[in-house]
Amino acid sequence: MVHRGTEKALQAGRNYIIYTLGGGVVLLLGIAWMHGLAGDLSFRETGHFHGVDPALHGQLTLIFVLLIAGLAVKAGMFPVHGWLPQAMVAPAPVSALLHAVAVVKAGAFGIVRVVYDVYGIDFAYMLGLLEPLAWLAAFTILFGSVRALSQMDLKRRLAYSTISQVSYIILGVTLFGPLGTVGGLVHLLHQGIMKITLFFCAGNYAETLGVHRVDELDGAGARMPATSVAFTVAALGMIGVPPLAGFVTKWTMGAGALAAGMEWVVLVLLVSSLLNAAYFLPIVYRLWFRPLAGPWPAERHWGRLETNAWLFWPPLITTLMLVLVGLLAATALSPLSWAQLIAVRMYLP
Amino acid sequence: MTGMPPTALIAASVLLPLLYPLLAARSGWNTALRAALPLLPLPALLLALLSSAPWTLELPWLLLGSTWMLDELRRSFLLLTALLWSAAGLYAVGYLGVKQLRRFCVFWGLTLAGNVGLVLAGDIASFYMFFAIMTFAGYGLVVHDGSDRARFAGRVYLVMALLGEVAMLAGFLLAARASDSLLLVDLAAGIAASDRGGLITALFIAGFGVKAGLPLLHFWLPLAHPVAPTPASAVLSGAMIKAGLLGWLLTLPIGESGWAAWGQFLMVMGFVGSLGAALLGVVQRDPKTVLAWSSISQMGLMTVLTGAALAAPAQAAALLSVIALFALHHGLAKGCLFLAVGLVLPASRALRVLLWLLIALPGLSLLGLPFTSGELAKGALKDALLVGPDLPLAAQLPLLLQAATLATLALLARYGWMLWLKLEPGRAAPSVWSGWGLAVLCSAVLFWWLPGVGLPGG
Repeated sequence: MVHRGTEKALQAGRNYIIYTLGGGVVLLLGIAWMHGLAGDLSFRETGHFHGVDPALHGQLTLIFVLLIAGLAVKAGMFPVHGWLPQAMVAPAPVSALLHAVAVVKAGAFGIVRVVYDVYGIDFAYMLGLLEPLAWLAAFTILFGSVRALSQMDLKRRLAYSTISQVSYIILGVTLFGPLGTVGGLVHLLHQGIMKITLFFCAGNYAETLGVHRVDELDGAGARMPATSVAFTVAALGMIGVPPLAGFVTKWTMGAGALAAGMEWVVLVLLVSSLLNAAYFLPIVYRLWFRPLAGPWPAERHWGRLETNAWLFWPPLITTLMLVLVGLLAATALSPLSWAQLIAVRMYLP
Repeated sequence: MTGMPPTALIAASVLLPLLYPLLAARSGWNTALRAALPLLPLPALLLALLSSAPWTLELPWLLLGSTWMLDELRRSFLLLTALLWSAAGLYAVGYLGVKQLRRFCVFWGLTLAGNVGLVLAGDIASFYMFFAIMTFAGYGLVVHDGSDRARFAGRVYLVMALLGEVAMLAGFLLAARASDSLLLVDLAAGIAASDRGGLITALFIAGFGVKAGLPLLHFWLPLAHPVAPTPASAVLSGAMIKAGLLGWLLTLPIGESGWAAWGQFLMVMGFVGSLGAALLGVVQRDPKTVLAWSSISQMGLMTVLTGAALAAPAQAAALLSVIALFALHHGLAKGCLFLAVGLVLPASRALRVLLWLLIALPGLSLLGLPFTSGELAKGALKDALLVGPDLPLAAQLPLLLQAATLATLALLARYGWMLWLKLEPGRAAPSVWSGWGLAVLCSAVLFWWLPGVGLPGG
């Protein structure tokens, strides 16, 4: 993150360290407390606290809050998301990984683990821990989207979008029932593919044209059609347009919410889709429908392709993937089918 | 009995227009891009004419597990879609300039693929996918000329369309849960049995109502339909607007009892649209804008029929046939009228008289002139609504239908007048003439040909 060595990058790095250490300390505290209470624990599919003494429920609730709070920092949940938009000063491939796979997913994955493998979904549900977590995730989803609306820096807008999208995973996990689990787990992968595509494209615009801001993208579709097609498809996927990856997630989570009797979640999903459209479609519009305003800030040429071949192909490959995981969602090897397999095992007695 | 699905033809119907935009990848292929425009809907046309419906095609690997199908209702919509897109495509070959040709063709192909696909879709995910492809790609057609007016129309179109899509998605989620199925054919029973049936019905009425130009959800339509390039206006107002109607027919609990109040609501809204559009449309100066209002007015009549089908489950099957016939008739006639706006006057006086006669023919068809498809469609509409069962508004229906005919007349007269002022002598490309001529021919022979192909209402 501090690779560039600029003052802004160092500041972002400091912030990241503070947030992540703070989160780590809280997480450690939770783990230590739980250790004192229950001894050495390994992850287990049904959780550890099935027949536990009801007198301990209060302590376990507090521990849950600590664990989630520690992990929420990494997952970029409100109100501990502050480091994430600043971290966009990192070089594009780092951002791509940071937002799609590595850091934020570690947080989301940790929360998935705590809910399913430490506490067990039934027990967490019984303690009434899922509903507040769902509200927090829902708030983060809308908060991230609303903040993304006003960002003119492309990578900052994508960063707020990540804050919103990662909480989809958390929201899916908190929907009590196999369908919600499937939705959350499948979004873990789908969000990754879509967001990595968007960051690749943002990197391509920056490296090829010197463009960093949304309002500098006018007419970029004609100059870089392949990258712009990739960006457009990934953006539509984020909005949830079928047959792309995001649609499968939204449909599954919506169905899961109805199955769990949490209708308000559907409303959150729909409003979030509209907000996604509101901050992604203007970019798509600029790419394809606005005339070129002037010379690019810092244009570079690489022969026949629109950009360096090493930049050209990656977003196209991930775009193909995000189409295929949606279009072929019903096949046995799709992320959806894998998530269903996992969810079925999770809810077996 | 279910026939064998002609798999190759089905695949070609959707994949040809869907993959056609790849031709736009290179700037050197513009000639091919242009020449291919009228050919794109041909597989769909063959499918509508030749395949022995009904058939069902299972695609368990697609999306959430898909089923595509063709029954008599869908065949009629497919026929309209394929015919109108062919004629408009032919027209577009000569109509389009070189500016942004590739971009236009990309959106043309995608929109067509969506329009054909949604007719064939038998499950929620496929239908929603094709509907969304059509809606989003249609934006590219609306804003094509890049003027301020087009961009404003495009923005209104997109915002309304997104709200519609969201209502639709909510409806589909609830309906799928209520009917425990992803097949469109199972939805009606599920909705009827659900205690959220009213909410689901409202969501579908609103969601598809945006596309169908339901009053209060219509205001994007007179902005967006006229501002698109003329061939795109023709398919927007002739074919794509019918996708909203088809959406209603496939999702509303038609054929289930206990929906009389909702049916009556739709009928009232239909008449409001039919008559209200005439009041607002007769003061317009752009002939295409007058036509857009006329589309809202005519869709109002189809909304009335849909409402009647919802209110009278015993007559639903017969009413669906009437709706399909009316949609086919109106789509082709309206397509002709839109395409005529891009014509020029020939030099010779005799040819001019002939031209005006041919321009007027589809208009007269909309008014129910004998020996036109309008005679059949309007006759069937009157039979269904007046002679039929005890419908809501039964006492007022004769008067309302007469008023609707008056509304149609007023709008067409205004269109003729405005077109008279607009058309000028000049030269038009041969493909413009032949595209318009093909549309007029299809509209004119429809009357003679309907009974032969066993279409509804024949």
